[in-house]
Amino acid sequence: MTLIMRLTASRGLLLALLPAAALLLLLLAPVARLAWEGLDGGLGSTAGLSVWQPWLDNYLRWRVVWSLAQAAITCALALGLGLPLAWVLARFEFAGRALVLRLLMLPFVVPSLVAALGVLALWGPRGVISGALGINLQDTPWLLLYGNLFFNLCLVVRAGVDALAQVNARQVAAARSLGASPWRAFWRVEWPAIAPWLMSSLCLVFLYCFAGFGLALVLGGQRYATVEVEIYTLVAYELQLGQASVLALWMLLLTGAVALAYAALEKRLAAPLRSLPMPRVRPQGAPQWLALGLALAVLFGICALPIVAIFIKAISALGTGATGLFGAEMLAALWNTLRFSALALLMATLLGVLHAFAAQASVAWRAAAFLPFVVSPVTVAFGLLLLYPSWTASLPLLLLAYAVLAYPFVAKALSAGLDSLPVHLGRAARTLGASPWRCFWRVTLPLLRPALRRGMAFAAATALGEFAVTLFLSRPEWATLTTLIYQRLGRPGQANLDAAMVLACVLMALALAVFLLIDWPAPPLGPTHDPRRASGLSSPNRTAPYA
Amino acid sequence: MLELRHIHQRYANLPLLQDINLQVAAGDIVALLGPSGSGKSTLLNIVAGLQAADAGSVWWDGQDITHLAPERRRFALMFQDFALFPHLNVLDNVAFGLVEQKVPKSEARNRALQMLGVFGLTELARRRVWNLSGGEQQRVALARALITEPRVLLLDEPFSALDADLRVALRQEFRSRIQAAGMVTLLVTHDEAEAREMADRSVRLLAGRLQPVD
Repeated sequence: MTLIMRLTASRGLLLALLPAAALLLLLLAPVARLAWEGLDGGLGSTAGLSVWQPWLDNYLRWRVVWSLAQAAITCALALGLGLPLAWVLARFEFAGRALVLRLLMLPFVVPSLVAALGVLALWGPRGVISGALGINLQDTPWLLLYGNLFFNLCLVVRAGVDALAQVNARQVAAARSLGASPWRAFWRVEWPAIAPWLMSSLCLVFLYCFAGFGLALVLGGQRYATVEVEIYTLVAYELQLGQASVLALWMLLLTGAVALAYAALEKRLAAPLRSLPMPRVRPQGAPQWLALGLALAVLFGICALPIVAIFIKAISALGTGATGLFGAEMLAALWNTLRFSALALLMATLLGVLHAFAAQASVAWRAAAFLPFVVSPVTVAFGLLLLYPSWTASLPLLLLAYAVLAYPFVAKALSAGLDSLPVHLGRAARTLGASPWRCFWRVTLPLLRPALRRGMAFAAATALGEFAVTLFLSRPEWATLTTLIYQRLGRPGQANLDAAMVLACVLMALALAVFLLIDWPAPPLGPTHDPRRASGLSSPNRTAPYA
Repeated sequence: MLELRHIHQRYANLPLLQDINLQVAAGDIVALLGPSGSGKSTLLNIVAGLQAADAGSVWWDGQDITHLAPERRRFALMFQDFALFPHLNVLDNVAFGLVEQKVPKSEARNRALQMLGVFGLTELARRRVWNLSGGEQQRVALARALITEPRVLLLDEPFSALDADLRVALRQEFRSRIQAAGMVTLLVTHDEAEAREMADRSVRLLAGRLQPVD
């Protein structure tokens, strides 16, 4: 029981009404409609579609297999690179370590389209590196894999650092005193302790890569695009709604299976006991300094270089006078991005707060906050398109879809914040004369503020960078920065690519502002209440933003 | 006078408290002894109004206050971990109860400052509470409990978070401050030496029932 007033089941139900209605009408019903279309064999189909078609048709089978393969390869790369990086960051003390850990959050707030442009700026046609080396990575899988790593390496490294911080130093010392070398102690004591956390983060990585849209759309090209891109192409360009719904049904099944594996792992991850953490040491000797330098270089190369490349490209584009950048089109897109995000954030905050408080009375309801993470934005948008055909060009529906995709960040952060509030504080306030409402106002709310702010910041970042739903449900006059970037990318010529880079730079600046909002130093709340922990986003068993 | 009449409480379908009856007069310090898990803290929560008993009643000066909300009882509870509010500094922690009594904030702070002076903590007024030592935290918690002049002071293992030397040193200080305030005091502890030194009399909670201690 937490600091908040005891929630009865009926009170919890009342609080849950609004988020439950949102989940039902904007997520579950569209998904059910889509599943029905998929099973039914297809809207507008003339070929008598089978639900097995993605496995019978060579072209579609390649899309599904490649989608699975690129997610699996990314997982392997993220683990192979992420574990040593996490170990170095968890065990070595060095100047700027706290800053590096904080910067690991950066990719979480970068819109996927900006990341895609970052990869193009580095490795695309006339990219900063590819241009210098004279290589061309277009139409290879490397661009997409690099983009996937940009987002997900940080997720695995953060999970690893947090998990390694929970390894009990006494257990490692016991293993060493029993004759284990440092390497054997790692494999026999540290690895078993951290493996479940890493596996849990890899489930998320797989989910994000498999169901990702923006990166695959821009970086996959014709051959290496994923199922999500195929669904979009079938709906938007080929009007093959039946085939698209069969594919979407398979996506639902496969993402659902991974989500179940994730949930099973989460269940096994009990809250860690208070343990003596391993002390961090300054690197000793050349090999350790080399390891640290190498780790930081890899992190910079994968997670920061694409952002730097966008800035370089944007500045050079501005130097050459990229055409029509500051005209009415861009200002309108900027204005749309800001107002849509602000409205979506308001709704997401309301839904998230209600969901989090209701979740205090029900474990099942707490798990329901994970639903919008499981269903990909493309599936949601396509389902909405099928279920509410007459409202597809309606702004409220678009904004509600934004809010439903963004609100789990608020709900999860706040739930974790509520969990970490010591029960005695509320009781002390009550015995000192505070009514339940005053107790909430003077004790609970101030202590929850860091978690709420962090959840809201991630929700804002999600809304700012939202792309898939906007492509499906938006009208031309509602173009946001993401859709404008995509439009510019679709037009031929260097000037349009330059314009896209500058627009991405503007979007990146907005995302950075959000990032600063997240990690803006708040007054610390002491060892009894760590706001980073309370946010639920630093811990490896929590959901990270959709990449 | 504080009176507990026929308090019964079950926990996990087993009887935890059985027919508890107790009277404590103003100015008395009564120690409630018992092993871990015997229900001492549960009984304290029932007295504070933070938990409802399955049966029985709590009386104050002849009035049944069983169903009175905790904030209206004026029974201050001091917790084992002190439960200081981490988002407030020392001064605002001590002033918390006064603000709840609608005392203007500036006056509440002045009175809190005076109280800190009595406890020798004036220089800590602006400090964050987690920067304090265990002994300092305990004094702040007692100052916070006493400033509202509660009718009853409930102490839940107030010395258990401190090391042995400090524990012994603070007992006498605590006793004299509580006696000076002259209220009903119920001290929960599992340490018999502490009970002897702090309390006027002791009772033991064993197998759910209260027994006097000689």
